[in-house]
Amino acid sequence: MIEIKLVVNEKPYNLNVEPSERLIDALRNRLGLLGTKEGCGEGECGACTIIMDGKTVNSCLVLAAQANGSVLTTIEGVGNRRSPHPVQKAFVEVGAVQCGFCTPGMVLSAKNLLDKNSHPSESEIGVAMSGNLCRCTGYDKILRAVKIAAEEGKQ
Amino acid sequence: MKKRGIGLGCSWYGTGYGNGFPDVSSAFVEIHDDGSATVLTGAVDVGQGSNSIFAQIVAEELGLEAQDICVYSGDTDATPDSGTTAATRQTYNTGNAVLKAVRQAKSSLLVYAAREFSCPTSEGIELKEGYIGVKGDPSRRVPLADLVFQARLRGERFISAESSTARSTPVDPETGQGAPYWPYSFGCQSAEVEVDTETGVVQVLKVVAVHDVGKALNPTQVEGQIAGGVTQGIGYALLEELELNEGKIKNPAFSSYLIPTALDVPNIEAFFVEDAESTGPFGAKGLGEPAMLPTVAAIINAIDDAVGVRITSIPATPEKILKALAEKNGEVKKH
Repeated sequence: MIEIKLVVNEKPYNLNVEPSERLIDALRNRLGLLGTKEGCGEGECGACTIIMDGKTVNSCLVLAAQANGSVLTTIEGVGNRRSPHPVQKAFVEVGAVQCGFCTPGMVLSAKNLLDKNSHPSESEIGVAMSGNLCRCTGYDKILRAVKIAAEEGKQ
Repeated sequence: MKKRGIGLGCSWYGTGYGNGFPDVSSAFVEIHDDGSATVLTGAVDVGQGSNSIFAQIVAEELGLEAQDICVYSGDTDATPDSGTTAATRQTYNTGNAVLKAVRQAKSSLLVYAAREFSCPTSEGIELKEGYIGVKGDPSRRVPLADLVFQARLRGERFISAESSTARSTPVDPETGQGAPYWPYSFGCQSAEVEVDTETGVVQVLKVVAVHDVGKALNPTQVEGQIAGGVTQGIGYALLEELELNEGKIKNPAFSSYLIPTALDVPNIEAFFVEDAESTGPFGAKGLGEPAMLPTVAAIINAIDDAVGVRITSIPATPEKILKALAEKNGEVKKH
């Protein structure tokens, strides 16, 4: 077992993890943060996206031990029912959620884009969201929601 | 060189299981003494929004808001069978079962209310804005919750169980004649593409999609289904190639079986036509599968319009397009 220290959603944790343990398993099984979803498990679909030290990563491709000393944000750390993040508010407003499996990853990719670039162009939004696959929505309403969230941030 | 073209695709699609297969959906409804209602159905909402549709159907009939309705679905311990979420059938088939069920529960409620309001017939009773009372006389109405609560104290409950079976007859195997499906769903889409004649890569620039949904019970969901269908259609037309070797899938991964990403989707303009389906719940019919059908034809036709090659197997990969272009140019040289 390896001892790691990390900050998840602004809370510090000390964890003992297996050398081969993936970050997504540590988050889901050790911390009970079930909002992070596993889709393909090979870094293609983006369902397990989290923000690690200001960058979006596929948490299925990161070992828990690699996250030692990192600051992480999962979907649980982005708004809540009473005070949703502007991205979450926009997703609800336009109806950008169908089955919902890709949604946590989509919201984190969008949040990280807007944290870095509050005035993204349409193509910048497309590139930022292109690592997250969605089979239901056709992306149409998701891209629209990110645009709305960006415009709200400008005001 | 990049060349642009426009193509059109049309579709008609029989919804439901069809060919005489028993296509039955069921629903239980209860109207509660807090002015809410519960609907139980076996229909599984996989994200297309059937639970919202059922809540809307019950709310519409009872003069309530959709959030007053609790939908339990897809629990084999508790809910009646409503068939699979397939064949574009839940809005129409289970929607019909839910509508029949809520109307049955409502009819006993109306009979009870007619007695309470000394109204000669239940036809004179209406449910509106959470109230129940005498039609056309706002002074004679009470909150629905109060009336159901009072009824409950007298041992009256408003509970129903209903099933709906879609119309379908098997096709005669000798003649191919019959009426396998009801209803049919219609759609038409137009695609504009840009074909790179050097690389064979096709970029879809715009898709305009128009679908006959009978009645759009939830327009936001209709738009979502159309955009999702168009995007799957783009994958079907250009990207998604299932490679088999002796019955085994050779590319069972998103790295080798490509589906569209946010960068592959064009500007999608969704429109719907509301030509009420007389047998559907409030005139509605299904849209699930039909939304992706015309996309393929529209894109293949647009490629033809852009560069003059007819692609006859999908997906229209860059390799196929370059091969077709080379054959076409070769023929031109011969003459």
